[in-house]
Formats: sequence, structure tokens, C-alpha cells
Amino acid sequence: MYARAIITLAAAVMLTACYESADVTVHKPGVYKGAKDPLLAKQRMPEQQQALRERFALVQPDR
Amino acid sequence: MARMKFLCDAERCIECNACVTACKNEHEVPWGVNRRRVVVLEDGVPGEKSISVACMHCTDAPCAAVCPVDCFYTTDDGIVLHDKDLCIGCGYCFYACPFGAPQYPQQSAFGVRGKMDKCTFCAGGPEADNSDDEYAKYGRNRIAEGKLPLCAEMCSTKALLAGDGDLVADIYRQRVIRRGGRPKTWGWETAYQS
Repeated sequence: MYARAIITLAAAVMLTACYESADVTVHKPGVYKGAKDPLLAKQRMPEQQQALRERFALVQPDR
Repeated sequence: MARMKFLCDAERCIECNACVTACKNEHEVPWGVNRRRVVVLEDGVPGEKSISVACMHCTDAPCAAVCPVDCFYTTDDGIVLHDKDLCIGCGYCFYACPFGAPQYPQQSAFGVRGKMDKCTFCAGGPEADNSDDEYAKYGRNRIAEGKLPLCAEMCSTKALLAGDGDLVADIYRQRVIRRGGRPKTWGWETAYQS
């Protein structure tokens, strides 16, 4: 009886090693530490967005 | 705000490698570094398909997630760029990237790779737009000039598309409808033989 309890306990302890967390490890990027890109401000300007749209219409249409 | 994306139509790509050449020429990319490559599937077999691959400017970029010095940033329209002054050439981004986009200019003893180089969507880097510094480190900044990536602009068959993801998707959707279905080059049925 005593041996059975020991075996059960040992099996339970060993089975805990089989546990695998189902949580996904998510790596989030850190905060950018480099110099500021002047392009970022330019891209927010509607004229720049319009220019890129017009360029797309000019050079990417289907043939 | 547009979300800039590349798309390569495998039904149209003829493996001319003009996109690769145009990229190298426009940005004076150093010897041994290819920001863009053409990959051929089933090479030599009838029905082979080619796709032009570079940095895909991922929405959730794994390169940025693993960078130990946080040298990556994403512009408002989704272009993933990096600062070469911060880069330590550790190579983590190379291992993290599923497209093999990060490239290193040096191959010397003790794993010295030099600063990482990759496709910038022709948007340069953090230096002043189209300054000598920016050109030397990242190549030309065509986006600041109101132009799109040269590889896509000069693609003769218009296999490679670059620009606002919504507009690119519209063009591709129309092509698929005209063809009567999407290509079976890849996908679940190809991967699992079902």
C-alpha cells in the first residue's frame, strides 16, 4: 500500500515535467533608439500621399 | 494613410532579374549584397514559377522584435526601416526574417558581418532625405521624391507591384477573376498534397 502511494506520487511528479504551456511567447519590438527620420513628417502631408497615389496610377496600371 | 506593400504575381514573373539589377543600380548596393532576389519554384520543370522576393515590410516585423539595439522603426505607411548607426551586425534579424531579407556586406574572420543592409522600399533611412549620407548608407530615397520602388516601377510584365496595399490588392483581385482562379503554386493543397 505504501509502495503504491510512493509510485503514484513519483508518477505524478514525473508527469508534471510533461506540461507544456500553451501560451504563445510574443516578442514585442522595443522603442526605436535611433535618429528621427524626416521622411516621417513628410509622409503625413496630404500632398505627399497624393503624389504617391498619382505615381501608382501612372506606373503600376495593369497591361 | 496608405499601407505600402509589395506583391509578386507568380503567373507573370518571367525571371528576367531586372528588378534585382535595377535595385542594385539605383542604390549602388555593395558587392555580395542583394536586397532583392528572384526565387524559382520547380526550376527546370515545365510550369515552373518565379517570384521576386525582398523585405516584405511586415506589419509585425520579427526583425524589429529581436533586435537587441532597437534600430528598427516603421513609418506611418508601414515601411520597415533601420538605423545603420545603431546596428551592431549581430545577425539576429537575419535568423528571425522568414524571407532572408537582411544582408551583410562583409564576410571575414570572427563573424564580423558589418552593418545590416536590406530593402528600404526605396525610402532611405533616418538621415536627411536624399542627402549624401543617406545615399551612401541606404541608397536613393524615391519615396521622398513622390516615386515608388524602382524594382516594381520598371517591371516589364507588371508582375511586381508596389504601393498602397489596397490598390495592389485591387489589381491582383482583377487578375485572379480574369484568370478564373488563383494559381496552385503554393497553398494548403500544394503543401499537404490534399
